[in-house]
Amino acid sequence: MLTELDYSAIILTLKLAGLTTLILLIISPPLAWWLARSRLFFRPFIEALVALPLVLPPTVLGFYLLISFSPDNFIGGFWLRLTGDTLAFSFQGLLIASLIYSLPFVVQPLQSAFVNLDKDYLEVAATLGFNPIETFYRVVFPMMLPSFIIAGALGFAHTVGEFGVVLMIGGNIPGETQLLSIALFDHVETLQYQQAHLLSFGLLTFSMTLLVLIYGVLQKRQQSIIHA
Amino acid sequence: MLKFDLKKSAQHKPLFHFKGEVELQGICAVFGDSGAGKTSFFRVLAGLDNSFCGSLAWQGKTWQDNSSFIKTEKRSIGMVFQEPRLFPHLDTLGNLKLATKKAANSLYSITELAALLDFEPLLNKKIQQLSGGQKQRIAIARAILTGPDLLLMDEPLSSLDQHSRQLLLPFFKKLSEKIPIIYITHSMQEVFYLSNKMILMNKGEIESIGSPQALFLNLDLSLAKHKHSGVMVNVQAVHWDDEFSVLHGLIDQQAILVAIKKPESLQDLLIKIESKDVILATKKLECSSLQNCLFVRVEQIEHLPTGSVLLTLNTGTQKILAKITIKSLNELQLQVSQNIFAYIKAMSISALDS
Repeated sequence: MLTELDYSAIILTLKLAGLTTLILLIISPPLAWWLARSRLFFRPFIEALVALPLVLPPTVLGFYLLISFSPDNFIGGFWLRLTGDTLAFSFQGLLIASLIYSLPFVVQPLQSAFVNLDKDYLEVAATLGFNPIETFYRVVFPMMLPSFIIAGALGFAHTVGEFGVVLMIGGNIPGETQLLSIALFDHVETLQYQQAHLLSFGLLTFSMTLLVLIYGVLQKRQQSIIHA
Repeated sequence: MLKFDLKKSAQHKPLFHFKGEVELQGICAVFGDSGAGKTSFFRVLAGLDNSFCGSLAWQGKTWQDNSSFIKTEKRSIGMVFQEPRLFPHLDTLGNLKLATKKAANSLYSITELAALLDFEPLLNKKIQQLSGGQKQRIAIARAILTGPDLLLMDEPLSSLDQHSRQLLLPFFKKLSEKIPIIYITHSMQEVFYLSNKMILMNKGEIESIGSPQALFLNLDLSLAKHKHSGVMVNVQAVHWDDEFSVLHGLIDQQAILVAIKKPESLQDLLIKIESKDVILATKKLECSSLQNCLFVRVEQIEHLPTGSVLLTLNTGTQKILAKITIKSLNELQLQVSQNIFAYIKAMSISALDS
């Protein structure tokens, strides 16, 4: 059966994934909009930077984050002076890492939705008297709602499944930085296969359900709106 | 008053130059060939195209000059695009409600418009379930619901069925008593029915602004050279002939037959006579199928670059145009102020909306 530590790992994972998703859903739309519409020469560089976590081994990202979180370096030092705490091996550090690591999973569905958004609708919105901000929340957001849900779901699922980065910068402090994937790893190492099975199967079911929902329902609905 | 002097060039070649001023009252038609720049003119008026330089002012308010540009959402215009452009994620009612969000004072409520434009049963339908004509009627209602100071309509009836046209034409006329409308159209019938003023566009420029009648009769303008040049003429209805399904009418006290669908009530109508459908004769013709003969006076003879001749003919108080070959002109020895007969097949006359 699952131990108390397992439950606290599950709760911590949900907390981290929830917070990450929430923050990403705030910062990603403007970024995705800019990536979809900008013709500036340096746009491909920003686009590559955002997409980097997709191809980079998580341990590479984790390693650089670990270095920059060190109190000897700018970011880590700044955080230490600000909060009196170190970023490495803390929940805040995990959160920052998750934001970077899951960013492309939230930005890319939004970017593709915005690319597909016909400019004609934005013109109509302007003739209805909406300024760009009003156009965004009165027209673009409701019209692209399925894509926003897809973006959030992918960001959430990806954060839940994070392992490499977490291992590098989070360590394994129960209740503080011990996430589901780390707990699973511990069970396997100590040959507690029954608990490992439970956690693995839970994660598998969760991920599968989410993806079926995304590809079977949400994506179809978005397509039918875009190609109406 | 709408005043504009707007230019756009590409690779140092002028593309468009819209210059002029027009007092907007009722419906002002914008007429011209495809590619003449009608839609471009609309987009710059609406503020949807900021690539033009020059100045634009409406009712004394500057919308655009060298240092300022008022954005579309601040211009208080309603716009009906060529395509309906309804939002696909909302139903009919949702689309209409969205238009009222920023409306200060709309002339009509959604329910009133639904009754006037006959879309009450469609209010809760999804956009995807509507036909092209239904969508366009909703798009027109949406533009009106924004409570605009000026309505821009880009060929709103071009994709519409007969039922919608007959519903909308009188409605536009009534609406224009309260909101000035600028109205792009390809249809001469619509121009004459709706508007008292017309902006004629040709090759990216405003060629002339004036009353439709004056512009269509002005042989110096591009309209006269057009393949389907012609004019609209008023016909006084006299009686409906049920046996032969034709309408007997009068043009300047001269009898004329018009082959149209039976009207619900006998009323005067506008007919279009294309210049190439008019046959000229110096003597009365006998034994022909031609039903309409008008006694006219030649007022003007204009040689066209295509080797044909355009004649302005006076029926008394109205005028028609006739296009003939130079050969015919020479053989008949037609001259200005000469009185002749103009024949028109009843079948080649088209009335508004037929």
